[in-house]
Amino acid sequence: MKILVCISSVPDTTSKISFTDSETVFNKAGLQFIIGPYDDYALARAVELKEQSGGTVTVLNVGTVETEPQIRKALAIGADDAIRVDAEPTDSYFVAEQIANIAKEGNYDLIMMGRETTDYNSGVVHGIVGEMLGIPSFSPVMELNIDGNQAKMTREIEGGKEKLEASLPLVLGCQEPIAEWKIPNMRGIMTARTKPLNVVAPSGDSLTSISAYSMPPAKGACKMIPAEDAGSLINLLRTEAKVL
Amino acid sequence: MAGFDRKMLNFLLKNVHQVNTITTFDYYSAHDEETFQLILDTAENLAAKHLSPAFVNSDRNEPQLLNDEVKVHPALKPYIQSIAESGLIAATLPFEEDGQQLPKTIYAAAHYILTASHNSFVMFSDLAHGCLEMISTFGTADLKKIYLPKISTCEWLGTMCLTEPQAGSSLSDVQTMAYLQPDGTYKLLGQKVFISAGDHDLTGNIVHLVLARIEGAPAGTKGISLFVVPKYKVDYQTGDLLLENGEKVSNDVKSIAIFHKMGQKATPAMHLGFGGNNDCEGILLGQENKGLAHMFQMMNGARLGVGMTGISIASAAMQLSQQYARERVQGRLPVGSRFPVQIQEHPDVKRMLFAQKAIVNGGLSLLLQCYKYLDLLKVSETEQDIFKYDCLTELLTPVAKTFGAEMGILSTNLGLQIHGGYGYTMDFELEQLARDVRITSIYEGTTGIHSLALVGREILKSDGISLKFWQTEVENTVEEARKLEQTQKAAEQLQSALELFNFTTNKMKEMSEEGKTMEYLADANLYMELFGILNIAWQWLLIGVAATAENGDGKDKLKTLYFYYQYELGKIDYLSRQIINTEKLTLPEI
Repeated sequence: MKILVCISSVPDTTSKISFTDSETVFNKAGLQFIIGPYDDYALARAVELKEQSGGTVTVLNVGTVETEPQIRKALAIGADDAIRVDAEPTDSYFVAEQIANIAKEGNYDLIMMGRETTDYNSGVVHGIVGEMLGIPSFSPVMELNIDGNQAKMTREIEGGKEKLEASLPLVLGCQEPIAEWKIPNMRGIMTARTKPLNVVAPSGDSLTSISAYSMPPAKGACKMIPAEDAGSLINLLRTEAKVL
Repeated sequence: MAGFDRKMLNFLLKNVHQVNTITTFDYYSAHDEETFQLILDTAENLAAKHLSPAFVNSDRNEPQLLNDEVKVHPALKPYIQSIAESGLIAATLPFEEDGQQLPKTIYAAAHYILTASHNSFVMFSDLAHGCLEMISTFGTADLKKIYLPKISTCEWLGTMCLTEPQAGSSLSDVQTMAYLQPDGTYKLLGQKVFISAGDHDLTGNIVHLVLARIEGAPAGTKGISLFVVPKYKVDYQTGDLLLENGEKVSNDVKSIAIFHKMGQKATPAMHLGFGGNNDCEGILLGQENKGLAHMFQMMNGARLGVGMTGISIASAAMQLSQQYARERVQGRLPVGSRFPVQIQEHPDVKRMLFAQKAIVNGGLSLLLQCYKYLDLLKVSETEQDIFKYDCLTELLTPVAKTFGAEMGILSTNLGLQIHGGYGYTMDFELEQLARDVRITSIYEGTTGIHSLALVGREILKSDGISLKFWQTEVENTVEEARKLEQTQKAAEQLQSALELFNFTTNKMKEMSEEGKTMEYLADANLYMELFGILNIAWQWLLIGVAATAENGDGKDKLKTLYFYYQYELGKIDYLSRQIINTEKLTLPEI
């Protein structure tokens, strides 16, 4: 079985976010980047499937050279080789287009990724890839087993779970508890250095550009009002909070 | 929350100690910056998954000695399994022994991450690592074949057994005996106390490295040998456990009692009996009567490890204190605040937060410096280089251990103080950290013993050659710092401090030359304190030089450097006066 796992490189979830160049550029300086947490689940399950039934796992990332540490980590976890499409992942359509183009060439049985990235959280890439390839896509998949050519899955739905089966090939957006995150071991880390990482040029141009980012409005300063001064409180509720 | 600061750790490794340059040596060339970062990621993942979640609960549920076997906390087993799978335990061994030739500096950095998350659990894996290194260095091919694979996969874990009821700091008084048998093995007879991880239900066997005296050996430290003593007998033909009727065979190592400690409660400290039924078999490790020297190889690693434990616990305390001081609103500033402020705004709290940062990051830097010297020693080719790095590690190991321990204790207590009354309760982790850290100035050589070693051995050694090597290193940093506006003043301060240190050392030597041995040694502890302060000042100057190239965080690092020089470096004046004063009130009255 050939599995393609798409991983994103996202800021660590505890990072403080800021922007530069008149709020048009996301400031990466000093941030620690990690494999997208949901992508990490997809990768872990893909490696388990390979260990159970053989086959190969290829990791795909759309990103600049700065994302290579995350790609190496995926190789250390157990992927066999990697492809990096050398471009900024500017929007979901552009990323999906790159994935679909690579997938067409590789003839993969499974294309797995997280249900969404944790930076822009669009959650639509798997759907667009499925549409572009003309194959079914499912998300969020929280359980996955392969029996011959059939995938048996559990998907989270509003208020419950849905069990379903579908024939390969498929595109899957994954989430916990599909597998436990894997911790790279020393041997994996050392062998990751020699596993192939192919860098390819992007196909097509991004159709969008960022005009400006904005942060959520800052919380207002807390005003302390003496307990006996209810008049001041009412005045502020009228003039500032405007709730009275 | 994480008890470590990965960003600062990376800065120290990369910008201050340029650890990547080690990979230019053939022995380490399989590594690069990326492998180093992945290894630290692995440590971080292990800590998040297995260590932090069990930290408090394993303190509240101590190991129990039941039916002659110790039951440990259930969260230990998955940790041991995961660290075994990670390959970290054997990572520093050579490729031919299934290691990865990882620089010790990186192993130490991983150790910092793990220990800051659970200082007690990590002792099990760390002792296994120490045993591996000992058997790798001194073991015969047969011993290596049997024990290295078993310990590196944590199928078996290890301990070191030095202390006896009558022989703690004074190992020359070890009484455990070893009797040579016709087949070349030895029968051991004796007792050991305070054996960390000395018994547990985690693995199929436990490998004790035991100091004992071979029958007829010379008295004192020159007659001590080292033995490999498994808890269960090993079939040396197959390399597996010896089985009789399908059952493991006891090697007559008995768990006599478990000590109930103040801290580090998840690691059982055992009283062990060897050979009570005259059936305890041991294999000599290394040469006869060289056991103490061999053990000191492990001990030196263990000593740096204990220094790191002190700093790691203090680091966890620092992270918690910083968070608490940001969140806790209490009291008004004497000037300019009508409303209560975050306690981090109060100058006294700010002073304590600064002191924590200066101790933790300065101490961590000194420890990494020592490990880097060990890595360079490993790959040195010329006799000159080997001698130099050997001298530097011998000189700095007791200092790094003592500073990490003593100042780790102080720093953790500052954290407790920042937490106020809440810090004294079991609702906050500071109380546990303060108990855990207290042992670090006691085990692996007390502060007093290390101070005597520093003053008794290193100062007088070959006309103070170790100090000369050290001084050259410090002066190189001073020269660099003089070229930069932000560190110029600190460079001059450190130069003056060095001069005072040299003056003090010369006065000490005069005492020794005049035969005033008691006076010379009496205040070894103060000399250690002075030397520790000076070393941390050196490390902060190194950090300051590297920080000048940094935006943002660089300013904060420079501020901590200025703090250390203003608040701590001045203490050496007082210490120097006490040390050179020949009227010692602590001398025995004759």
